[in-house]
Amino acid sequence: MAVESDVMEAAGPYDRARALSAFKLGDITFYWITRACAISVLLILGGIIISLIVGAWPAMREYGAAFLWTQRWAPSADPPVLGALGPIYGTLITSVIAMMIAIPVGLGIAVFLTEICPLWLRRPIGLAVELLAGIPSIIYGMWGFFVLGPFLANTFQPFMISIFDGVPVLGAIFAGPPSYLSLFNASLILAIMVLPFITSISVDVFKTVPPVLKEAAYGVGCTTWEVVRNVVIPYTRVGVIGGIMLALGRALGETMAVTFIIGNSFKIQSSIFAPGTTISAAIASEFAESDGLHQSGLILLGLLLFVLTFFVLAAARLMLMRLEKKAGN
Amino acid sequence: MTDLSVSVSSASGPAPQVPLPEAAPKVTARGLNFYYGEHHALKNINLTLGTNRVTAFIGPSGCGKSTLLRIFNRMYDLYPGQRATGQLLLDQTNILDPKLDLNLLRARVGMVFQKPTPFPMTIYENIAFGIRLYEKISKSEMDGRVEKALRGGALWNEVKDKLNASGLSLSGGQQQRLCIARTVAVRPEVILFDEPCSALDPISTAKIEELIQELAEDYTIAIVTHNMQQAARVSDKTAFMYLGELIEFDDTNKIFTSPSDRRTQDYITGRFG
Amino acid sequence: MNPIYASRRRKNVVIKFLCLCAAAFGVTWLALILFTLFYNGLTGLSLQVFAQDTPPPGSTEGGLRNAIVGSIIMTVIGVGIGAPLGLFAGTYLAEYGKHDKLTSVIRFINDILLSAPSIIIGLFIYGAIVVPMGGFSAFAGCLALAVIVIPVVVRTTEDMLGLVPNPLREAASALGLPRSLVIRRIAYRAARSGLITGVLLATARVAGETAPLLFTALSNQFFSLNLTKTMANLPVTINNFVQSPYAYWKELAWSGALLITLTVLALNIGARILGAERTSK
Repeated sequence: MAVESDVMEAAGPYDRARALSAFKLGDITFYWITRACAISVLLILGGIIISLIVGAWPAMREYGAAFLWTQRWAPSADPPVLGALGPIYGTLITSVIAMMIAIPVGLGIAVFLTEICPLWLRRPIGLAVELLAGIPSIIYGMWGFFVLGPFLANTFQPFMISIFDGVPVLGAIFAGPPSYLSLFNASLILAIMVLPFITSISVDVFKTVPPVLKEAAYGVGCTTWEVVRNVVIPYTRVGVIGGIMLALGRALGETMAVTFIIGNSFKIQSSIFAPGTTISAAIASEFAESDGLHQSGLILLGLLLFVLTFFVLAAARLMLMRLEKKAGN
Repeated sequence: MTDLSVSVSSASGPAPQVPLPEAAPKVTARGLNFYYGEHHALKNINLTLGTNRVTAFIGPSGCGKSTLLRIFNRMYDLYPGQRATGQLLLDQTNILDPKLDLNLLRARVGMVFQKPTPFPMTIYENIAFGIRLYEKISKSEMDGRVEKALRGGALWNEVKDKLNASGLSLSGGQQQRLCIARTVAVRPEVILFDEPCSALDPISTAKIEELIQELAEDYTIAIVTHNMQQAARVSDKTAFMYLGELIEFDDTNKIFTSPSDRRTQDYITGRFG
Repeated sequence: MNPIYASRRRKNVVIKFLCLCAAAFGVTWLALILFTLFYNGLTGLSLQVFAQDTPPPGSTEGGLRNAIVGSIIMTVIGVGIGAPLGLFAGTYLAEYGKHDKLTSVIRFINDILLSAPSIIIGLFIYGAIVVPMGGFSAFAGCLALAVIVIPVVVRTTEDMLGLVPNPLREAASALGLPRSLVIRRIAYRAARSGLITGVLLATARVAGETAPLLFTALSNQFFSLNLTKTMANLPVTINNFVQSPYAYWKELAWSGALLITLTVLALNIGARILGAERTSK
């Protein structure tokens, strides 16, 4: 079959060189556009850090390190007295309680989805959990404000208060009166919000366990739980912790779910049923009407939050990367 | 591989041992070396691909035959840490010249891969896409070129009624012929085949082998294969490679009937590899 | 039966039951939230909600028209700015810079930005745009949303381009295609549904974002299309109405919440269907 021997000369290499050189400029331009966009990711991070430091500078100069352990927050005093202890305490305590609830439940769901659940149920439940992650945080906040808060104040809180009444330490932690607005309510909402993160990362991570390992364990007669505890969890520990840290990062910085139901009180109280505040709730509720030193103090709070979440998230990513490497080998 | 000697002799006839006439050199390698980072993958390769000849590269996996093929169109340039030294000429052009326009080189040296790689577009577009890159031609001219290329790929009769179907809808063997047609459409001078049939069934394989021999009338062809019968069936010249070295390079007839190197002998008789 | 074996069996059953409870717990919340949303939101949802602007305090005449329009405008512009930027950045990471040191740094930072608190983004845009421009503006809100969109799109783009088989790129290069055309004509096309999925997910993410708008776009009681002024939007309007003493405002807040949730869920489900399509291929 004589395939176009005639045309072969017509389309000599020179002809092509001209056609190709027309692409040259576009080729280089496209490369530099993508590179510039990639670098802009770094610029965004730089911009965040710089703008927070610039905004927080007056407050940093005014209050120094004492900002961290001053409890009083009196922006309208003259001069304003600002201390971050209340919001820091609230941020940490709500996140810790939220994680205490979300970790066992989230892992439980992950185990259920990967090891126990019949196949036909896997997709719907998995989908429900992921949709839970997609619901905007303000919806959680609103729901907590109108539905969950009143419910807890009328049922769960009085119950706990009456049980622990008079018990040392626990009595103080679960002290009354019940309230719609409390650290505990905020924690529970946070727990519901981060639950899907823990679950979906754990499911992903559980899937990296080589089937042979599990089969070997089942082969010597292990029960499902024994396989999970002795094979799946040890194998994926780093990844699971990474997922938990990622969820913690979310919980620390979550704003709208918390703002409505935490009560915005800067006073630190021993009871988790008392109102409190978090860094993000303080910023969200006060920033728009703030100015001067007050505003700078709020930005300083933001800077603290950013540094805190940055390290938590960085640790989370490093752990997940370690697991990825392991899975890759 | 037990009946190898039988099939080889039946494919190449009762080996009269007449050497092939010399063909004009198309691609010439002199002292060619290749490195993956620190790893010295190809050592001092010297050979010539004759114009309009089919040259087969055989050898156990990891011997460097695919690596060598990927130097001919500088495909390795896509990846960092890989480099070639020595001399490699396409006619008078130095392929290893760092200033060489790679796109131009690849337009002259086409390649067909192990797994069929149709682009995610229609059959028509799969062909027209490459042509449009280099030439501005009218719709009717393009139709003609597409048909010609598909005929060149021995696929026209099967797809002429569904040119607008997705290239991915074809069977594996058809996809591979589409890829050949796509390569032919750009009018290269050399076509490299990297184990083109290893993912295909025997019938598709036979069609492609037939096609390769037809293409040799117009193109210089290099084919890497792990299937020795295939090398014996389609090629004029065969290169046997082992551990990054070119052990023996000669007429296919000679390689398969009376190889001069012990290792070649062992390999074609199935003693290793 | 061997007593050790029996106790192991029992333990297994108990734990399995607890896992089942955990799953039920998770699904129950979703059901409860959706139920209350529909229950409270549907009653107030009428044509009026779409036709009229937000009412002044105390009035029972009004809807959410300005907030809905504002939200759409800001989401579209935010995604319009953020998605291309993220797409190109993700392209660099997946195609050009695959073996770069720079790429791993950018990927790491991007992953952190992906989960960074959105209120911090609000503070950033406040300091970088609102203060220098001398006031709150819808444009600042759009930028804040864009900053949230970028890391999402970068991540999905890189992942999706990573799924494009390398032989396809090689085959395109072997035809003599310049690199940028290999990416734009072949890799993008092969990854198309995945890339769209990423943009949809990013849109879903910002459609309900509230915190970064609180002090960038603020809100506006009136209908406005001016990007240099404050602009009403659903999330901030809900935020303001929830905490108000007026029953009608609360009712509107529920309707708005239902609208946002439905939109976001629809985007999420759409993205998932598209994603499932590509994996089944």
